[in-house]
Amino acid sequence: MLLLLKIEWLKIKRYRAFWWMLAIILLSYPGINTGFYFIYKNITKGKDMANQLAKTFLGNPFSFPETWHTTAYFSSHFIFLPAILVIMLVTNEYSFKTNRQNIIDGWSRTEFISSKLIDVIIVSFIVTLVEIGVAIGFGFNTDAENWNKCLEQLYYIPLFYFQTFAQLSIAFILGYFIKKAFMALGIFLFYYLIVENILVGYLTVKNIPIARFLPFEVSDKILVSPAFVGNFGADAKTKYEAALQIVPEQILFTLIMTTLIWGVCYKVHQKRDIL
Amino acid sequence: MSEFSYMETVLSINNISKHYQSVTALNNVSLSIPKGSVFGILGPNGSGKTTLMSIILDILKSNTGNYSWFGKPNDSSQRKRIGALLETPNFYHYLSGENNLKITQAISGRGNAKDIEEVLSAVNLSERKKSKFSTYSLGMKQRLAIGAALLGNPEVLLLDEPTNGLDPVGIAEIRTLIQTLAKQGFTIIISSHLLDEIEKICTHVAILKKGVLLTSGTVNEVLRNEDIVEISAANLSELKNCIVEMGNYLSIKEEPNLLQVHFPSGSADLEAINQFCFSKGITLNLLLNKRKSLETKFFELTND
Repeated sequence: MLLLLKIEWLKIKRYRAFWWMLAIILLSYPGINTGFYFIYKNITKGKDMANQLAKTFLGNPFSFPETWHTTAYFSSHFIFLPAILVIMLVTNEYSFKTNRQNIIDGWSRTEFISSKLIDVIIVSFIVTLVEIGVAIGFGFNTDAENWNKCLEQLYYIPLFYFQTFAQLSIAFILGYFIKKAFMALGIFLFYYLIVENILVGYLTVKNIPIARFLPFEVSDKILVSPAFVGNFGADAKTKYEAALQIVPEQILFTLIMTTLIWGVCYKVHQKRDIL
Repeated sequence: MSEFSYMETVLSINNISKHYQSVTALNNVSLSIPKGSVFGILGPNGSGKTTLMSIILDILKSNTGNYSWFGKPNDSSQRKRIGALLETPNFYHYLSGENNLKITQAISGRGNAKDIEEVLSAVNLSERKKSKFSTYSLGMKQRLAIGAALLGNPEVLLLDEPTNGLDPVGIAEIRTLIQTLAKQGFTIIISSHLLDEIEKICTHVAILKKGVLLTSGTVNEVLRNEDIVEISAANLSELKNCIVEMGNYLSIKEEPNLLQVHFPSGSADLEAINQFCFSKGITLNLLLNKRKSLETKFFELTND
């Protein structure tokens, strides 16, 4: 495994497009959360009754320990940025035909897929590190007095990692089967941003309880919307608690889906002609 | 029995077939490649040469049959002992030649940093080793691929059209390199359209056509199904009559200044021919036992 890691590092370390994309991610995640932080500040900064009520109701979702949840939730909506990295890393092998050369040089087919699994694990890890940095940054800068609570709710870090890994695995399987970077990315974005949102909306309206099994929704529900996001109705508390209650099930379903994705890739790669 | 017959078999291919829907790319091909041989795989475009090479490198899966490298069950560790160039040079475009070879080295486990320098020098790429692969000319890319195949002295070299994209000097260099490697005991499996090249360097050949193996064996065995004697005298028509009278030939072909007489394999006796002609008052000014060229044999076998 270490050798595979070393070889993937040799491929990546001088790949400028990879580092540029990573720099974009490094800037985007703090940027996204800063945007939402300013929205929060705007709502709560006034002195009138409404602003003060909002402040009391919302608390400070960017202070410790809520920052772990809040920033993870907002950051998770921008999975398409690291997805570009994953799709690039797999489709490059097809465009350069190095998927063939790696085998010719002595890798087994299993090792090839494992090397790509390592890529997805690494990208998910880097994204999680960025997210941890963002959460800590907001925690300390928005309410330094709460730093003693920084070790609470740390479980949002592995949940964020798991969701990122699951959704990047979808990006991987698209790249693996479609082989063309632009087409794979286009399909990923079209499905992630449009198709699945329409499906979720339709199934929810029609009261068909299968939306939570859709490819992205299954892991989206691992990181539930923070209590202050869009839950202002009378049943806000009930809905939030219901969402929290199904998290363990969603983790299990996500695990099954992700295992299936990688299982299919390993199986297909054993049998297929490498073109 | 050839000098290779008793030797260890490096690659054994048994009844391999490959179909693409209705097209049969390979049909029941069986071959044995002895250690230390320079084995040429020949055939017109679409004959299945690259498909065969792809199967034995585990790039393509055969529909039937099997193969084994070094007499062992097939797994990736056997491939690490093989340096291969298949079809096109496949490298990471954004990496330099040197960094690409570091990946080859890391995957195959063959060679070290010093070996990388040496192969880059052997294929004349030392000066451009830091340049990105994407900036290389076609010939340079091909040379890098040959360098990658040579890295760390693999036991077997498998080269699919290695002279593609090379200029005449490059072709000559590759030929010399292959001859040198063959003398050093490397087993080399090579496919090429350049029959003259193959004939110059190969000890064995296999000829494929439309996925069917037409013949295989040592070059001498493949070319020796008839003897060709080139013969000439001042009066060619008298000479022809004399040969007809002598008999035991297969055919006589008239060339501008000579006759080409084909005899059954192993039956041409130059001394007897000379004596017979002399007894008939004909003095020969040319008497030459000529091996059939690989090109001639190739066209004989592959032309419909």
